[in-house]
Amino acid sequence: MSKSENHKTKTTIQKAVVYLFLTVGSLLSLFPFYWMFTMATRTNREINSFPPPFTPGADLVGNFQKVLDNMDFFGSMANSLFVSTSITVGVLFLCSLAGYSFAKLEFKGKKFLFSVILITMMIPPQLGLIPQYYIMTQLQWINTFQAVIVPGLINAFGIFWMRQYIQDAVPDELIEAAKIDGCSTFRIYWNIVAPTVLPAFATLGIIVFMQAWNDFLWPLTVLREPSMHTLQVALRTLNDARQMDYGMIMSGTFWATVPLIVIFLMFNKLFIQSLSEGAVKS
Amino acid sequence: MKKSLDEKKKTARTAYFFISPFFILYAVFGLFPMLFSFYLAFFKWNGLSDMTFVGMENFNFIFSDPIFYEAIKNTFIIGLLGTAPQIIVGILLAFALNSTLIRFRNVFRTMIFLPYVTSIVAVAIIFGVIFSNQEAGFINYILSYFGIDSINWNIQNWPVKITISIMVFWRWVGYNTIIFLAGMQSIPNALYEAAKIDGATVWQQIRLITIPMLKPTITFVVFTATIGALQLFTEPLVFLGRNLRQEGITMVAYLWKDAFVFNAFGTASAAAIVLFFIIIIITGINILLTNRIDQTKKAR
Amino acid sequence: MSKLFKVFLVGLLSVLLMTACGSDDTSTEDTSTDDSTTEDTSADTGDDKEAVTLTFWEFGNTGYDVLIEEYMEANSHVTIELQNMDMNDLHDNLFTSLSAGSGAPDVAMVEVNQLERYRDAEDRFHNLMDFGAADVEGNFLDWVWRTGENADGSFMFGLPTDIGPTVMYYRTDVFEEAGFDPSPEAVGELIQTWDDFERVAQEIYAETGKIMTDGAELVFNARRDQAPEHFFNTEDELIVEEHDHIRNAYDYTVSLIEQDLIGNIQLWTPEWFAGMDEGTYATLLGPAWMQGVIKDNAEAGVWSITTLPEGAGNWGGSYLTVPAESDYPEEAYAFIEWMTAPEQQLKSFLDYGLFPSAPAVYEDPEFLDYSDEFFGGIKTAQVFSEAAEAVIPVYKGKGYYTVNDALQEAISNVNAGADPDEQWNQALEQAESALARQ
Repeated sequence: MSKSENHKTKTTIQKAVVYLFLTVGSLLSLFPFYWMFTMATRTNREINSFPPPFTPGADLVGNFQKVLDNMDFFGSMANSLFVSTSITVGVLFLCSLAGYSFAKLEFKGKKFLFSVILITMMIPPQLGLIPQYYIMTQLQWINTFQAVIVPGLINAFGIFWMRQYIQDAVPDELIEAAKIDGCSTFRIYWNIVAPTVLPAFATLGIIVFMQAWNDFLWPLTVLREPSMHTLQVALRTLNDARQMDYGMIMSGTFWATVPLIVIFLMFNKLFIQSLSEGAVKS
Repeated sequence: MKKSLDEKKKTARTAYFFISPFFILYAVFGLFPMLFSFYLAFFKWNGLSDMTFVGMENFNFIFSDPIFYEAIKNTFIIGLLGTAPQIIVGILLAFALNSTLIRFRNVFRTMIFLPYVTSIVAVAIIFGVIFSNQEAGFINYILSYFGIDSINWNIQNWPVKITISIMVFWRWVGYNTIIFLAGMQSIPNALYEAAKIDGATVWQQIRLITIPMLKPTITFVVFTATIGALQLFTEPLVFLGRNLRQEGITMVAYLWKDAFVFNAFGTASAAAIVLFFIIIIITGINILLTNRIDQTKKAR
Repeated sequence: MSKLFKVFLVGLLSVLLMTACGSDDTSTEDTSTDDSTTEDTSADTGDDKEAVTLTFWEFGNTGYDVLIEEYMEANSHVTIELQNMDMNDLHDNLFTSLSAGSGAPDVAMVEVNQLERYRDAEDRFHNLMDFGAADVEGNFLDWVWRTGENADGSFMFGLPTDIGPTVMYYRTDVFEEAGFDPSPEAVGELIQTWDDFERVAQEIYAETGKIMTDGAELVFNARRDQAPEHFFNTEDELIVEEHDHIRNAYDYTVSLIEQDLIGNIQLWTPEWFAGMDEGTYATLLGPAWMQGVIKDNAEAGVWSITTLPEGAGNWGGSYLTVPAESDYPEEAYAFIEWMTAPEQQLKSFLDYGLFPSAPAVYEDPEFLDYSDEFFGGIKTAQVFSEAAEAVIPVYKGKGYYTVNDALQEAISNVNAGADPDEQWNQALEQAESALARQ
């Protein structure tokens, strides 16, 4: 009796420590985001005071109205959705196929080819801007979405991630059994591997989507026409030469981030669903 | 026997087919920029002029530049201060978020992930205000209670490095947590249940179940975080501005500044090559070490 | 399902094949991939000129869209596609396009500082002298014109739009508190030389405990801009140590720092904006366009304007250039000549506050009468035009900002406690090392 009570108080303390840890971590993570929101509700002058205001002000609607007056917010959001979704779907598919091959299939030069993929990650990408742009001009892809989407499908990180996950999460016996049943390699991928590694899909999906959504350097270089702008590119046109209206800029930035949270929650749901399904199977 | 050989061939062909998109796309879009950079390292070019062959001169420039060594030093210091702790805290956070004891897990998960989606513009402004050089700046104000003089956070040597490290840690810890969290999904809950029945403490559970079972994910995170740390660029740029002071300049920032501030693409490319070899050496050591640990564990 | 998969892969591969072929085609046949497309609208133009579409990159809040409408109405064969960008983005994109040899617009607005980046690249721009730019030289202030030329005056990069002549903005309340007459005439009288500036700074500090100005950067800039020689001669040789002007500017700034007369508030930070409102610093040595920033952040009536001691300088302003890729340089030139003509500059000034580079505007009654209640009802346009005419022309050179950034970093280090001589030497060393790589 006393022993179990002892155990109970121990778990309560443990729980309290964990909650404290998570709460502090969450608040530290939340703070700049909250501040972004605060700035989106303030006038420029309030933002520029020192120390700046910590609580939301009254200009939430006014600032967003200014954003809408100065850029095609929803049009560029549609562009962003299209580009980011295309990249995410493409990357998930291509990387899981390649990851599966490296994790479970036997072929000559496997180790070597995999090392090549890892080595491509080690090259600092910053200097590639001009030659890459040159390729795009030669393909006449300037001002087209494929200029952003197609290079976005190259994702060594995703292949590595999928390989690591599939290697351990998918039992070899399961694959052997399917082979004996006469399944093709692609069928095994589609019916066995893919459903088993849904958490890995969800995680990679989140990461790739966020990256594609927030990327601006490359889209800025190749998407020049206003009608082709993604959100991050269009948001930059809110910058004046010298006089920045931070209230307006932060409003645009904040509302451009909100869809990401929705996407995150969607993937998170997939993540949790995949767990309960996995539990049933095992 | 023959049939299985055929099958092997068939599997191999399918495997090549599955991995080919990466190599084809890379050949079209990645290879040329890479070779171009390599080529440029032996030329003098400002982006608009004709290229002049200069042999090894660009390498002489960077190897005789004290700031280049500063950049290497900074990269390692900020990597150790900003990136290494992420891995430990990331595992702990993921463990907590994975624990069935915890309610509101989705709320916590979303919040921990927020830094990754927060606009870098907002982050720059906020860090600028928190780490303001003014006496009334947030951190300086707190320090004044302890009798510490105001610190010039974006000028002084260690304060610059520490601030950038904090920024790196803050921006990326949630990201690594989410990756660890995915890795933890493949650990069967039954293992934890069994451990609890045996009376294992939380710490023992992490040490004896989570970490060994999480090995592939840890390898992955260590590998990518190392490369990320060695290629650190965005945080120094937004905190220090385009001038990228030597107190906080990193290796990639150094080559970026050479290329896009000084328009010196030759030395920038030379620096990129040196950086590439440094990354290969460090990740090589990294892989050796993780394999070593793996083997000793297996031996046990 | 596997059928679907095959279809997908076939599609993917054919895209890749097409791109591979596409790249061959374009490299052999069509090297000009200008993104300005000629629309065949000759039917409805009314006159017999060929219809052209010009792309025009601009940054900032210029109101040029309104002027463009006007221009297109008068020239029905010309369509102008305006693309507004962030200032840095525009210059980065222009650099990338010029470097790769494709994708630059027909007309690009280039900021005066950024112009130095292209000094070497005359072949990437049309020489406006070929289109008769010499005829309009008289429209512009001499120093503005000369900044747009190459060293020997044979090549014109762009026609000037607006400029940013610098003045001394000051807080009337702080001057009053220190016991001075705060009217612009009296302050102008009081601070005629940089020694006066230092003396008044000491008095203000003694009387009110306030700093004279926000930070060291703008003090150095002001003194630098009044020097007849800067960092380079017209042969692009570094001459900083062959004359005293820059070292004097540096020493003067350092001496103010060492006397604690100037702050270390960085430009564009919240404390800088807040200081504008609270009167933390007594003066701000800024250009004409700084009016808007001050108006955004301070109450009316506390700030006033007078000229800088010993002359003026310039910060900001732009040029309209025609990149060499443009297939319609004549139409582009006609357009920029019209845009930069005094009549249009007056409109830009009255509607958007862009300060004109054409002195003819300074004579216009509407301009002369232009006054601002915010700054105590003084005739602001006149103060700025006085400053604009006081700027002296100087050759900057392509390495200008490499040297300048190094010196500014040195000054901010001194402001944080470093040794001035050591910093000066280190800055020049670093600048030389960077210059040798370019």
